[in-house]
Amino acid sequence: MIPAGLSFPFPQKRGDMRLVEITDLTVSFPQADGIVQAVRGASFHVDEGESVGIVGESGSGKSVTCMAALRLLRQPPARITATTMTLDGINMLAADRKTLAGVRGRVAAMVFQDPMTAFDPAYTIGAQIVETIRAHREVSKAEARREAEGLLAKVEIRTPGAVLDSYPHQLSGGMLQRAMIAMALSCQPRILIADEPTTALDVTVQAQILQLIKGLQDELGMGLVMVTHDLGVIAETVDRVVVMYGGRVMEEAPVAAIFDDAKHPYTRALMASMPGQVGGRRRLTEIPGSSPNPADPPGGCPFHPRCGEADARCAVEMPPVVVTGEASRAACWRLT
Amino acid sequence: MTAPALELRGLTKDFLLPGSGWWGKPRTVHAVRAVDLVLPRNAIVGLVGESGSGKTTTGMVALRLSEPTGGQILLDGTDITTLDSVALKPFRRKLQVVFQDSYSALDPMLTLAQIVAEPLHIHGIGTAKEQAEQARHWLERVGLHASYANRYPHELSGGQRQRVAIARALILKPTVLIADEPTSALDVSVKAQIINLLQDLQAEMGLSILFISHDLSVVRSLTDTVAVMFNGRIVEQAPTEAIFTDARHPYTRSLLDAVPVMNPRDRRHRTFQTRAELEAATPRLSAAALGLAPDATARLVRVGADHLVEAILT
Amino acid sequence: MIGFIIRRLLSISVTFIIVSILIFTMMHAIPGGPFDGGEMPLPPEVRAKMMAQFGLDQPVWVQYLKYMSGVIRLDFGVPFQSPGETMFSLLADAWVPSLVLGGLGVLIGAPLGILLGIAAALHRNSWIDYLASGVATLGLTVPVFVTSMLLILIFAVWLNWFPASGWGDPINWVLPIAAYATIPMATYARYTRSAMLDTLNKPFVTVLRAKGLPENKIIYGHVLRNSAIPMVTVFLPMFIGTATGSIFVEAMFRVPGLGSYFVSSIRTRDYPLEMALMLMLTVMFCVAYLLSDIAYALLNPRIRYGDRKG
Repeated sequence: MIPAGLSFPFPQKRGDMRLVEITDLTVSFPQADGIVQAVRGASFHVDEGESVGIVGESGSGKSVTCMAALRLLRQPPARITATTMTLDGINMLAADRKTLAGVRGRVAAMVFQDPMTAFDPAYTIGAQIVETIRAHREVSKAEARREAEGLLAKVEIRTPGAVLDSYPHQLSGGMLQRAMIAMALSCQPRILIADEPTTALDVTVQAQILQLIKGLQDELGMGLVMVTHDLGVIAETVDRVVVMYGGRVMEEAPVAAIFDDAKHPYTRALMASMPGQVGGRRRLTEIPGSSPNPADPPGGCPFHPRCGEADARCAVEMPPVVVTGEASRAACWRLT
Repeated sequence: MTAPALELRGLTKDFLLPGSGWWGKPRTVHAVRAVDLVLPRNAIVGLVGESGSGKTTTGMVALRLSEPTGGQILLDGTDITTLDSVALKPFRRKLQVVFQDSYSALDPMLTLAQIVAEPLHIHGIGTAKEQAEQARHWLERVGLHASYANRYPHELSGGQRQRVAIARALILKPTVLIADEPTSALDVSVKAQIINLLQDLQAEMGLSILFISHDLSVVRSLTDTVAVMFNGRIVEQAPTEAIFTDARHPYTRSLLDAVPVMNPRDRRHRTFQTRAELEAATPRLSAAALGLAPDATARLVRVGADHLVEAILT
Repeated sequence: MIGFIIRRLLSISVTFIIVSILIFTMMHAIPGGPFDGGEMPLPPEVRAKMMAQFGLDQPVWVQYLKYMSGVIRLDFGVPFQSPGETMFSLLADAWVPSLVLGGLGVLIGAPLGILLGIAAALHRNSWIDYLASGVATLGLTVPVFVTSMLLILIFAVWLNWFPASGWGDPINWVLPIAAYATIPMATYARYTRSAMLDTLNKPFVTVLRAKGLPENKIIYGHVLRNSAIPMVTVFLPMFIGTATGSIFVEAMFRVPGLGSYFVSSIRTRDYPLEMALMLMLTVMFCVAYLLSDIAYALLNPRIRYGDRKG
């Protein structure tokens, strides 16, 4: 599982089942003219070796949730509350600076959307990977560089030595995203959070990167959180799906159940509106209206203004979470 | 026989890039290389490809927003390639565009009614009152209630802004609409709305749309014909379903293969070809079987009724 | 890059010619001449003789061409105020106080400003930020002669710590340099703050945090370096720009520098001296911009190493 010639001096502990545990997370940003409620009581968990997809549209709170989990939001202005927020058992709500720096990159690493802006343009790729390794482990520069080269080979870069000495602007988006993944893996994290890792990439490159992430996750036994707006990415990569909308979790289920038998009207409408599922030019099933404004969310269920099945109660009261299957739950009055 | 709504003949566009490094020489990039494309009347043609394929440049040159290096642009059978800005103005009415990022394309200081009426104003069509009325009519036609007339772009969601951009493009009743990734920045739940709107308006107005996109799923639901661009060339062109079920060019096949499958039970391991491998994989067809003369240079060859593939004839 | 430098040198030459024409015509468009007015007007025939001697009776464009052909040979003409000297010998002495004043002012003011800017950016929207921004705004909005007067009032008149004017002794330097340093300090504070905030908001900073790099390494290893790239490009032009600001300071503290010549040359219509000063400033600006562009290229790997996408 580790490239030949590499050794990681600190074997990571295995055994704790729950890698991510988030309960009742709220994230808000006070503004001059009100409060933007980005996340309004989201809960989910990721177990060891499991891949969980968080799917949602812009403003659903999916990215903010991940940023909050790693405490990457500036506080203030951000306000984060939760009943629990742990990564590999470490309480992230109470973590001090030192703990945070130890968790980030080592316990949980992150891959971001736009690889073109994710690297510091003033340093080579190699320097940035070496820096990551040396931030967490006491190894010599030469040793770290050898490891970095091995990591680049691991993410299927054919000329790791050349990429190591390249500046970010000299590489293509696909190559940079591979390097970003290599950097994320450099300290053998237990959790990999990928926030729209392929959205900025071309179709063929997207498929390659998804396959790479999935393969590495299986091989290294990491927990994977795949944040995306694209149901196709979900279908290709994850075991379990968390559907977010308007800062809330609408539905959660194993991936097959989501695609075969979604319970929540929003998930079903989203599936139905996907273009290109059948051949021939045709009108699509559309969802009327647009996503809620996080500065002024609708009362009750955030989806009710666009929901074909909503009634008076949906507009007033947030529906309870209903267990819909062995590992499935959904928040809808229709299911109660 | 009437002329097609828009026809590109041997369209070519080179860019000169400044050299890099201390002693760098300027270099030429062949963004679009001898593209032939017909946009028939009353049809939607998809132009698909990845970044750097030349699809956006093709659109910009066809709009005369960028000057071609070579080739011809025919609008309604008239060659508009070399018309100056005065002579071009009446043709601009017939050739309109919608971009991906409608926020930067809408003047933030104008109300939606003013934005939509602006083309009428520029072309001096109707009185101020008639223009305002038309604008309101078009706002409603693209699904925005008349009460939106006095709002400003920043008050709208992405989908609503794209509706405004479409209304502004269509108020002059053009024959051709070039839509460059108009749904790419939109939320999944809103994308379908805009796709439906474009289909409805196309059918009602008998419009011809050149739909430039990297999103094969959208292209499948929206277009009648698809042209696939790779390295500045069209490598395959066919009726949409033929592209999706019977692709002949290796690049088209690699594109289709990369599209995520919307069924978690159909997950599979993919093998990928490098760009160089795809460039070298130009199909070889038997000239004799097609009744054509052998040709060692790759060119578009007709392999079915409306199915063209770039190939070498042996 | 070499091509770029050659192009820049050409455009500098064009700028130089345009600026020289503008200054020359503007100077001559102002009514009156060097031998007019005063309490004792010259007799007309003497005046005409003087005008002819200095070539001032010829058409402006002839005067311009004659002057410029001299400039090419580094001959800036004869200053009217002291015809016995060359322009170089006259200005040579004046350079020293100006250079000391401007140089020390920038060398003291700029680092202070940079520190203020960094502190403000790192403590965005805290009292440190407000204090630093307040100081910077004051430094930019209060005219330097007001600052000078305040300094004289407080430290020379009331406290009597430093002399109010003069230049001979280094103790004389303190107040003018302090007055003058407020300009680069304020400019740099504002510029550093916005460059730092700009960099702090870049996605790669979030990536650096997400990979567990300690905050001080993020700031000093990455953010500062990236903010420095745009800051270097404004340093030299700002240096020259502040040099012109020293005119007022020199006047307030009676420093025998270039500024005093500048003022007197305008008052006495000393065309050659005015031209020489203006042209020197122009050349300095142009060269400063060229040097800062080269510095930018050296700092920015995007320019240092070409694209080789792969």
